[in-house]
Parts: sequence; C-alpha cells; structure tokens
Amino acid sequence: MNKIRIWKAIGRGVLLESVRRKDLWVIAILGMIIILAASMLGFFGVRGLEVFVKDLAVTVLGIFSTIVAILTSSRLLPDEIRNRTLYPLLARPITRMDLLLGKFFGAVAATWIGFLMLAALTAVALLIFHVQFEWVMIQYMVLKMMGLVVLCAVTLTLSAYMTPQAAATMSFVLAFGSVMFEQGLLMAGNSAGKGMRPIFATVSDILPQYHLFDEGSRAANIGWGSAPIWVVLALGTYMIFYSGAMISMAWSKFRKQAI
Amino acid sequence: MSTAILAEQLHVRYKAKNGKWVEAVQGLTFNVEAGEVVGFLGPNGAGKSSTLKALMGFVEPSGGNCQIFGEPAGSLASRARIGYLPEVALYYPFLTPRETLTLYGELQGLHGKALKTEAETLLEVVGLKDAMNKRNRSLSKGMLQRVGIAQSLLGNPELLILDEVTSGLDPVGRKELRHILKDRQQAGCTLFFSSHELSEVEMLCDRIVLINNGKFVEERQISDLKQELRQFSVRYKGEVSLFDLTDHWQQVGENIYEAVFTSKEQLLVALDRVHDEKAKLLDVVAQEGSLEDYFVEAIARAA
Repeated sequence: MNKIRIWKAIGRGVLLESVRRKDLWVIAILGMIIILAASMLGFFGVRGLEVFVKDLAVTVLGIFSTIVAILTSSRLLPDEIRNRTLYPLLARPITRMDLLLGKFFGAVAATWIGFLMLAALTAVALLIFHVQFEWVMIQYMVLKMMGLVVLCAVTLTLSAYMTPQAAATMSFVLAFGSVMFEQGLLMAGNSAGKGMRPIFATVSDILPQYHLFDEGSRAANIGWGSAPIWVVLALGTYMIFYSGAMISMAWSKFRKQAI
Repeated sequence: MSTAILAEQLHVRYKAKNGKWVEAVQGLTFNVEAGEVVGFLGPNGAGKSSTLKALMGFVEPSGGNCQIFGEPAGSLASRARIGYLPEVALYYPFLTPRETLTLYGELQGLHGKALKTEAETLLEVVGLKDAMNKRNRSLSKGMLQRVGIAQSLLGNPELLILDEVTSGLDPVGRKELRHILKDRQQAGCTLFFSSHELSEVEMLCDRIVLINNGKFVEERQISDLKQELRQFSVRYKGEVSLFDLTDHWQQVGENIYEAVFTSKEQLLVALDRVHDEKAKLLDVVAQEGSLEDYFVEAIARAA
C-alpha cells in the first residue's frame, strides 16, 4: 500500500484535532495581542523601536511555536493508548512505524501551520509599523521550522517512554534550556580533566541543539545579515539525522508495546 | 474448507501494576474454519479480549502459535483480511462518523469515490445516515458502537473479529446487527465474536468456544447443544410410575404427576406407558433449554 497515503491520512487526523481543539487559534490570538500591545508604543512617539519590535516578534514567534510543537507532540501517542483509539487504527494493515511517522508528520504540519500563521500576523504587524523587511527573516523562519521538526521528534520520543506531562516538561526544559545546557557542558568540559572531557562532549552531542536553529538575534538586529548557506545545509542534515534517531528510539519502545 | 483462525497452545501474559506477571491466556487451542460463525464465550476476566488482541497482534503472545488464514497473527497480510471491533469503542471525538470511516478506509487501502460511497453506504446500513456529519463527541454510546461496527465492515473483510459486539445497542440495534452479520455470513465472511448476550450467540452462531481463567473449557455445535438442552415435560392423572425413566418425576397435585425428559425416545416410552395404563394425559410441553444454564454449569464444572 502507498505509504505516503497512510502517513497523510494519519497526519491529517492530527492536524484536524489541532484545528478543532482550537489550540492554534488561541496561540495566534495570544501572540498577536502581545505583538500589537508592544507595537502600540510607536503611537506614543517612542522612536527607534524597530529593533525592539522585531526582537519581540521573533521572541513571541519562538515561544509560541515551541509551545504548539510540544503540546501537540507530547499527547499524540499517550492519548491514543489511553483513549483506546489505537485499536481501530492498528487493526488496519499498517505498521506501527507508519503510525508513528504519520503522527510525527501531522505534529510537524500542525506546528508549522501555527508558526506560519503567527509569522504572517507578525509580518502584517511589522509592516503596519513600517519595520524594514530583510531577507534574514526568511532564513530565520526556515531554520526555526527545521528546529521545530527536531523538537517534535524529541517530544514524541519522550512521550513514548513517559507520561505526556513529563514528556512536555522535559521538552520545555530541553528547548528553553538548550543554550544554557550547551554553555554549561562546554564550561564543565573545559575545566574538567582530560579523561572527563569526552563524557561532557558526548552528553552535549546527545542533547538536542535546539538553540542552533534560533536565528532570532540576526533577524532582529539591523545589518547583521544572514548566515552562510552551508550553515543552513549543515543544520538541515542535523535535523534529518537527529529526528531520524529520535523516531527510531520511539519505535524501538512502541513496536512491541502491548496495547 | 480453509482455516480462518488457528490458535495453538496460545499464552498471553501481562505485567500488572504491582510488577507481577498475570497469565491472561494459558495454553489455549482452538480453530475457526472459513465461513463459520463462532461465539467466543467466557465469564469476565476469562481471557477473551486478550485472545482477540493476540489474534490482532496488539499483544505479543508469550507462547504458542496464532494464525489468520495461514498468516502469522498481527502480520500486515492477516490484518488486511480482518475487520475488527474493539471491546470499548472510542473514536476520535473531533471527527464525524463519515470522517472516521474515511480515515480508517484510507488506512485499509481504499480511496477516492469508492471510499466515499462505501463509507456512506455502511453508515446508512448501521442506521447513522442522519448522524454521519455530527461530531463523534455528540453521539450516544449505542451510536458510537454503530460507528465501530461500520468501520469493522470497511473493505469487505473476509473475517470479522468482534469484541462484545452488542455492547451499548438497544433491542432494535441488536436486531439490525443480526441482519447485518447474517448478510455478511451469507456472503462468505467468517465471524468470530465475543458476547455476554447468550441469546444473540444462540441466534447467530454455528459453534461456541468456551474459556475460563484463560483456559479452554469446551467447544460445542449450537445445534447439538440445543438438542441436548431441549426438555419434554409430561403431566398426567393416574397411578403410573415413570421413576425408572427419569429422575425428574414428581407428584404435583392429587393423583397428578409430572415427569421431565431430556430425550424424545424417553418421552415416547413414557407416553406409551401412560396410554397403556389408562391414565389421563393432561399436558405435553417441549421446552428449549437455556444457554445461560449451560454456560453457568459449564463454567462451574471448569472452575
């Protein structure tokens, strides 16, 4: 049977759930309220706010898209098992890997749509306040969307091993603490003895490098310019391999799991 | 005739919350031939659902062998030929019955106009024509069970495995379900289902497989069982002893006696004797035996 058709059918279910549960709308409305409220400062004669408004916009985009990615991905598998909606799905001639990939693609699609929706609203807000558009914004969006793929894979995998609440909490810590962990491990590695350095390096490699996909500072600051293309390609490769490894881990737990 | 389901020395076990292993199914062996309608009976906790889950590949058997049409149970090839109704039918609350069937149909390999037509036809067959565009969350338990039945029929499966098929259905729904299942059987579909509604089992099945505590108890042809359970009672007035023909002979009034026989042959001998002894025959009643009594007795014997 056509695998793409299977993944599409399962993914569409995830997307429909996100839309009908109104998760995306709540995020979009909240995001817009924050951006518009901040942008109002412009009306009161405060000048030189371009960097501030752009910085705020990318921060809101980053936070809310991370929330959507984690909340959508963390409940997919546990909810299927708890609500017993898994039975009629797995009674069909599909593999558990098909189900996992369908859910993953659905989560990515829902997250991307949420992100693009917010990005579109942000773009309108920036235009209204005459903030200059730069191509680095496009690169920021592409990289952010790639990072969201990694985040969805991490959260889905964690949810295969723990409760959705624990998976969501862990994912939030990993996503928002990504820079902190990396710097901490780097410092610990530098100050540790030669024997311990590979351990810190390995831990650093294992943790998701979510912060690498955040080009918010480049996008917000005028004249910083975009990152070279090889960086984007390297991050794309990282996204494919890291997400692949994560989904494989989820599958190794889920493939024989009694339901 | 080919074998639709074959379970040989099947063992299924679960890890309980206290960390101990629970043997839900212990060395169960049975088979279902293609085209048969077989009821799978047992008290609560007997291991029926665990067996059905093993047949579907939802749990890995801890021992033994399970095959569907010669393919390993749980394989894609076996699942492509099965329609399955889970014990507790829960479907995505945010979808409508039509969307639910479309989703499962696509996973079954159906698509396009053929899928749309089949989904609508099945929803009409199960009596959900007017509710096919309402969200599942607004449907009653019985209506959700109908959605479940409709999804199990998608793709015209060769084998239907139905867990507690009549659960949540009202008498009208049960009657409609009987018609649907009989139609499927006439079309050559094999039916294997568990149910606590013994009257449904009696009306639908060719054979029953009885289990208790995860173990096989017995299997019986429904026709044989019905014959075995049939009783004949004779009531007459006169001094005629039938004590040598049955244990169930008693005086029920002044010079009035009643005797109960389990075979027609005994009944005929008794009637001859009553006639020869010039006693007055008051009544002869043929009673169909109760499957419920058989079930209770068989489980008690096996316990």
